[in-house]
Amino acid sequence: MSETRPKIIGARVQRVEDPRFLAGVGRFTDDLKRAGMLHVAFRRSDESHARIVDIDISAAETMPGVVAVVTAKDIVDAVRPVRAESRMKNYHATTNQPLAAEKVRYVGEAVVAVVAESRYLAEDAAEQIVIEFEPLAELTDPEVAAADGAPLLHEEAGTNIIALREFERGEVDDAFSAAALTVGGRFRFRRKSPCAIENRSYLAEYDQGKRSLTLHATTQVPGIIRDALAEALDIPGHRVRVVAPDVGGGFGGKASLYAEDLIVCLLARKLGRPVKWTSDRLEDLMTTTQGFDEIVEAELALDSDGKFLALRADILGDVGAYSIYPWTCTVEPVQVVSFLPGPYRLPCYRGKVRAVSTAKTPLGPYRGVGRPISTFVMERLVDMAARRLAIDPAEIRVRNLVVEDEFPYKAGSGLVWDRSGFQECLAAAREKIDYEALRQEQAKARAAGRWFGIGIASYAELTGIGSRIAAAPGMALNTGTETSTVRVDSTGSVTATFGIASHGQGMETSLAQVIAEELGVRVEDVEVVHGDSDGQAHGTGTYASRSAVLAGGAATLSARTVRENVIEIASHLLEAAPADIDVADGTISVVGTDRRLSFRELARAFYSEVGRLPHELRETIALEATKTYDPFFGTTSSATHIVALEIDPETYGVELRRYVSAEDCGRIINPLIVDGQVHGGVAQGIGAALFEEVVHDEAGQVLTASFVDYLVPTAAEIPSMETVHVETARPNNVGGFRGMGEGGTIGAPAAIANAVSDALAPLDIEIDELPITPERLFRLIERARKNQ
Amino acid sequence: MKPPAFEYVAAGSVEEAVSLLAEHDGEAKVIAGGQSLVPMLNFRLLAPAVLVDLNRIPGLDGVSEQGGGLRIGALTRHRTLETSEIVKARFPVLNAAMQFVAHLAIRNRGTIGGSLSHADPAAELPTMAVLLDAEIEVAGPKGERVIAAQDFFESALSTTLEEDEIVTGVRLPALAAQTGWAFEEFARRSGDFGIAGVGVTVSLTDGKVAQARVALLGVGQTPIRASAAEAVLLGKERNLELIAAAAEAARQAAEPEDDLHGSADYRRHLVGVLTRRAVEAAWRRALGEVS
Amino acid sequence: MSDTLRIALTVNGVRYEKDVEPRMLLADFLRETLGLTGTHIGCEHGVCGACTVLLNGDSVRSCLTFAVQLDGADIETVESLGTVEDLSPLQQAYREHGALQCGFCTPGMLITSVDLLKKYPLANDAEIREGLSGNLCRCTGYEHIVDAVRAVAKAQAKTDEGDKP
Repeated sequence: MSETRPKIIGARVQRVEDPRFLAGVGRFTDDLKRAGMLHVAFRRSDESHARIVDIDISAAETMPGVVAVVTAKDIVDAVRPVRAESRMKNYHATTNQPLAAEKVRYVGEAVVAVVAESRYLAEDAAEQIVIEFEPLAELTDPEVAAADGAPLLHEEAGTNIIALREFERGEVDDAFSAAALTVGGRFRFRRKSPCAIENRSYLAEYDQGKRSLTLHATTQVPGIIRDALAEALDIPGHRVRVVAPDVGGGFGGKASLYAEDLIVCLLARKLGRPVKWTSDRLEDLMTTTQGFDEIVEAELALDSDGKFLALRADILGDVGAYSIYPWTCTVEPVQVVSFLPGPYRLPCYRGKVRAVSTAKTPLGPYRGVGRPISTFVMERLVDMAARRLAIDPAEIRVRNLVVEDEFPYKAGSGLVWDRSGFQECLAAAREKIDYEALRQEQAKARAAGRWFGIGIASYAELTGIGSRIAAAPGMALNTGTETSTVRVDSTGSVTATFGIASHGQGMETSLAQVIAEELGVRVEDVEVVHGDSDGQAHGTGTYASRSAVLAGGAATLSARTVRENVIEIASHLLEAAPADIDVADGTISVVGTDRRLSFRELARAFYSEVGRLPHELRETIALEATKTYDPFFGTTSSATHIVALEIDPETYGVELRRYVSAEDCGRIINPLIVDGQVHGGVAQGIGAALFEEVVHDEAGQVLTASFVDYLVPTAAEIPSMETVHVETARPNNVGGFRGMGEGGTIGAPAAIANAVSDALAPLDIEIDELPITPERLFRLIERARKNQ
Repeated sequence: MKPPAFEYVAAGSVEEAVSLLAEHDGEAKVIAGGQSLVPMLNFRLLAPAVLVDLNRIPGLDGVSEQGGGLRIGALTRHRTLETSEIVKARFPVLNAAMQFVAHLAIRNRGTIGGSLSHADPAAELPTMAVLLDAEIEVAGPKGERVIAAQDFFESALSTTLEEDEIVTGVRLPALAAQTGWAFEEFARRSGDFGIAGVGVTVSLTDGKVAQARVALLGVGQTPIRASAAEAVLLGKERNLELIAAAAEAARQAAEPEDDLHGSADYRRHLVGVLTRRAVEAAWRRALGEVS
Repeated sequence: MSDTLRIALTVNGVRYEKDVEPRMLLADFLRETLGLTGTHIGCEHGVCGACTVLLNGDSVRSCLTFAVQLDGADIETVESLGTVEDLSPLQQAYREHGALQCGFCTPGMLITSVDLLKKYPLANDAEIREGLSGNLCRCTGYEHIVDAVRAVAKAQAKTDEGDKP
């Protein structure tokens, strides 16, 4: 291949998805209409923990337009109970029923499904349902629920601690005893909701003739849902199809099997008509899986030079009412404990995590999963130590971040970091923000009585993980492979089919770029098909920053195979040796001559013009290849974020002045897309740090049940962001890509917490709780002033 | 979140609107901009049998001069107030407050009559009405009356309007010649309801305060005129201790409650800070030191 | 169930006469009755901005407006801005700058941008950000959207400049 040809991988290609979204002709699930379609509204529990005594649907059944009113007993024979199993020790699966049967366990849990001719009419009828509850013990405080003798949310588990895990390496307690300095604290990261702007929506169609089910769903994981539906509804997989049309954001909140997935399918089969349910925002804020709800008690031991000796931590994850399918309730808490040591040299580590069930919305994956919390805690400890030792926070990180010759480095939790730019990212971020000048600016500001703070956060994560590493341990779920089929059809058009499900990441473009470069066509020649469980025999979807690595790797392999076959076929047609044939920009040519073919001509010759090729060729070769890629391990991605902010010393409002992220995400396919992912993640991280909190009262009522109270940041709250891409050694996977996409939520809360603490250093305040709200700052500052 | 069913009538006149309200005996609600009402309908917090649309009533909007001050028709959109040159000239504090009102799409529809009738103590227009000693024109089946702003707001989301009355206009009496103004508001995000806010006017004669008005937003059941703070300033020349004392008096006048976005203590604290800032700025403007 | 009322209105230049239930939200009227699904619903309480359309030239929340109120009105939705084959300069700017990812907030964001560009000078980023603060986006972090609107505002200012005698 010519080295002078401009590369497609790495080019700032405009996205092929964009025109339909810009013109308002995307097809999102709620946009879909089917003849005879019915609509569902749910009557949901307004009690957080209660026995269901009676459900009176009689008034609802007679309301105008109502076709069916369904409770748990009506569907008990139609669906197998869903349990998220795991071989993890000390884990208790919960039975997740689509409609609550004997008891309800969180406010918002679905109790009755009303099916009517319109959503308006369904809601009218749902209002007429009367449910008699017998309230049971309040179980909203995770520490109360975790205590011995607490009333049980799931009796059959025998405990509210439904998962328990511990990692240990080295003589931790000895290291603490010998340490020159110990810093520690109790850290609280409070609940978030992913709040994709598109609410969840599911439309099920059941073909009575073929007895086959199609579910159109706002899902990140069509393959997982297909497999789950086949099991739960006892329909063979070749008669279940799950299609994610255009999906308006997911962030993990659309990566699980929900009650509503099952219910619309059951209803479509039972009623013989297509059934659609679209969540409203109230339902979204009560029922979409939530994230980041952890209490972490942690301590870091150091020597007098600020070198880390040991880390120990006790983590309590508030995982809500059910262990969600498929990830289990452990997906976030276990990540907190396994990522806590961070990108640092740390000989001794003990991390213990308990996941406690409470009468709240179930916890699920949310962008970054456990890493935002682990990074918050570790980076706070690092800064606390830096302050105590009077070492600059950047300098203390230089002393402790793993350096080049230490890779591969095995962290205290057993994770292995491969070569990644930990030190380089810190250096690049410092340079970009002009760290020295910023510290001088801070000194001036401080002298003038201003509260100016600078915060650093360095983190590492595993992305693009292969089969050796489980996203949630012990599950019968393979997240480590993806498959790609690249086909040139009889018209010469190129189609690439995947099991991933792009929902904002621009995969129709980036995967087309990979294939275009590897196959030798143009980006616009490649049609990427994704989001459909029929696309591949097995596929899971898009989550955990995996699609570029896994699908990109599979695309690379299958495109290369097709390219070889194209060349072989062309060698017959062009009467040249394969080594003399080049494929580029959709043209196949003999180098140094004007003998050429278009893909259309080649395809026509191969498929249709029977005399032009030896007939055996068609039996031994194909213009199509399917390849599965398993990177086996994962790749390490890393970054350093630095933020400068100022706090109004009277109102305690926080204003972000500058935000820099320097990240090592390997070989970039499309910088426009990568920058966008960084920005979006940082914005969610800023939301997590300063604005967003799901608040349940003691009775388990969701107080933040609208966008007036759950505060998603707007363009006015997010600063301009500067991104630096640091490329170190290419990771050892096909394509050389590192996964990325979650870094913003991982780095931003920690960086902001550190910056606020830095700004308030004169008052000796250390931030240990997120979000940092003006109210919380008020309390901290008042207390600090009293103490001074 | 679909609204419950209702009958709809587009009223052609104020008389028709109020007689419909009277006829339906509390079961009818008026809709103007709908920016506060429709969310409540969508959440099914309200279920009126009849919705009476005021948007087709001719002559219910408009800003006109009246006796040195202004008269603003109830159906005048926020966007109109935001861009009105005469509002900016005569009542710059109102112009300043309009910058805080929600977002453009809300301002394009929301009306002053609607905002005052909705009576959210954390909204800008009720506080402006109280600050500027507005007189609120009201019409009912028994005829018209005028209610002073301070008597109009009863408690959060509740006014002294009868069930069959609607706001038809707002009169803003002229400000004295040498009047400075300021509006300070603290909110979590751009366009949110304020956690606390303060509007101030300071009118000077011979360098001394002839009239001071301080109105507090978001820290009580209704907007609050901090009369004790006003009394501190009356007759005085500018000095920092005085302003601090006025801020303290305003802080004490606040009657906030705890909620998700801020405690009563924090809101009171904000009142002290924002009053001091607002009085300083208003005084500078009154003295012509800044525009 | 209440009786329907007849409304006649223009949407994207096409005149329609329809019978609507009074409580039908404009957003649902556009999406369900007229099949114009480009306008999206994100919250139904006026905060997220996904449902923003132009009503007689002004941006409004279609989730807070009843179709029945709009007899005689002129509505423009995202579908009127351009087509897949022929995007408007604003839409092209969004594409060039990467101002969309999942595309769900995009129609409302575009409509708001149209109204902002008409009504405000947008002379600096702070003004642009404040103007866009009524439209939530969860994917982009707003950075590229601000870039796109800034570019269009600058081009517009140049054109206005050029129009001056």
